[in-house]
Amino acid sequence: MMSRVLAVARNTIREVLRERIVLVLAIFGAALVFASQVLSPLALGEGKKVVTDFGLAGSSLLATLLAVFLGSSLLHKELDRRTIYAVMAKPICRAEFLMGKFLGLWTTTGFLLSGMTLMVLALLTVVHHETPWILLGSLLLTLMELGIVTAFVILFSSFTTPGLTAFFTLGVIVTGSFAEQILYFGGQGESSFVAGLTGAFYWALPHLSTFNVRGMVTHGVAVPPERIAFGVSYALLYMGAVLTIAGAIFERRDFR
Amino acid sequence: MTQRENVNQAGRVAPAPTGSIREVEPLALLEVEGLAKVYRDPMTLKPFTAVNGLSFTLGRGEIFGLLGPNGAGKTTTIKLILGLAKPTRGMIRLDGRDPRDPEARRRLGYLPENPCFYDHLTATEYLELTCALFGLDARAGRRTGATLLERLGLAAHARKPLRKYSKGMTQRLGLAQALLNEPTFLVLDEPMSGLDPIGRAEVKQILREERTRGTTILMSSHVLAETESICDRVGIMSGGKLLEVGTVPGLLATGVREWEIAVESLPERAAAELSAAGHRVEPLGTRWLIHVVEGPALQRALGLLTQSEVFIHSVEPRRETLEEHFVRALSRGKGNE
Repeated sequence: MMSRVLAVARNTIREVLRERIVLVLAIFGAALVFASQVLSPLALGEGKKVVTDFGLAGSSLLATLLAVFLGSSLLHKELDRRTIYAVMAKPICRAEFLMGKFLGLWTTTGFLLSGMTLMVLALLTVVHHETPWILLGSLLLTLMELGIVTAFVILFSSFTTPGLTAFFTLGVIVTGSFAEQILYFGGQGESSFVAGLTGAFYWALPHLSTFNVRGMVTHGVAVPPERIAFGVSYALLYMGAVLTIAGAIFERRDFR
Repeated sequence: MTQRENVNQAGRVAPAPTGSIREVEPLALLEVEGLAKVYRDPMTLKPFTAVNGLSFTLGRGEIFGLLGPNGAGKTTTIKLILGLAKPTRGMIRLDGRDPRDPEARRRLGYLPENPCFYDHLTATEYLELTCALFGLDARAGRRTGATLLERLGLAAHARKPLRKYSKGMTQRLGLAQALLNEPTFLVLDEPMSGLDPIGRAEVKQILREERTRGTTILMSSHVLAETESICDRVGIMSGGKLLEVGTVPGLLATGVREWEIAVESLPERAAAELSAAGHRVEPLGTRWLIHVVEGPALQRALGLLTQSEVFIHSVEPRRETLEEHFVRALSRGKGNE
């Protein structure tokens, strides 16, 4: 099973890397990290924090955009160009195929994210003579967040168009980032229906704020191991659930 | 299963009559029974029946041709057989399994219609991917892949990106990936499409070799003359229905359509008498060709020509070609609708 999943993943990585947008975003990401250093003198002695905050936020944003906009057309292209026909006639489950696509996309965007974070780390080491290894804790959690986003891209693309996939995924990212606020405001009203609905949303949506520890590491605070352990476990379980639903939907789909 | 049990064409076990041992018929490789596929328009939900009540079986080691005009339901049938689409009604068994079970596809090779492969890969890389999907040993797969590329005339282009391949080259690669796992069942959707005459002859040769190896082949085609020359049986489809199934000689066994008598020279009087008897007389270069439709009339026509001292060059029965039969079957099918 794993060899088939990895074969699809390898092929997806090759396919994604061929897209010019990956190179453009990688260059843009590198430029963003170095631009943060250029801006740092304006921060009145807080240059290190600007580089860290700007670099981490930029790398997370670029990797997420890459996952959403590149990933949303990946499956659609397979169906549109009918390359999937010859693949699915082989002894491979549809869920394995989706898993391969997911792993390939997550690996590629994960490499972009890791590369940019390591660039921030290198910049801080060279310019500010300090190597804040605590950034790696933030990197790990952001990788998990990226995994959830990628799983949603795969889920939506298993039944809808690239445009709607991107739209729905961005919707999940925005609402998922404010899950706690949604629950809070839902509970403020008098309607128990609204409170119940927001409660259901709160539990169904991914709590993406769990993975945002950028403020913490910018201020030199290490991410507690239990938070990393919780974040990784939560993300893996969430990805598993989303991919299971995606697999079930894709299994029922007819290739016309 | 004991020796006293009997297995019929559909692969079902029936008790053998007491006191006798019957020969066990081989299990059918593919069984299709009452197959139907109805698609719905995603916007209007209006139903469209692509395949309607299809039933046939495929034995081992035979080449079966699925013929039909565009929109007859051939490709949908193939997709259902491969598990790419789910039947609305009916049953498909591929070596006794549901085709949606990946195990059923382990010894299956498939060439899609107008194949399209990942254009960022080379032929070697694509065959390596195929090898991994089949779970084949990478080294052995590479060897088999190289042999297949050589056999299909693609060895010199093995490292060229597939986006630079011509239609014919893509078709050949499609055949190579379909043969990589040494399949027992080959499904080929328009295998001759995009190939030049030499390529078509090579593909026909490969199909014959595969049949000799015991491979069952299901192919759809528009090129009727070529289908006729390699298929053991054919099925004619129209409007999602299977109009006829049978061996090519069996389907064309309506007998001799007419006899053609070629003569060296034909006196005017004899020509007039033959025309008056209802035979078509036409000049063919320095010769004349007389078309006689009915058997008894042939004897009378030959008697007349002998009496007129005409040199009879040849008398040839003309049978219906598959193409003629195909057109007739389709118009009959339309008439029944």
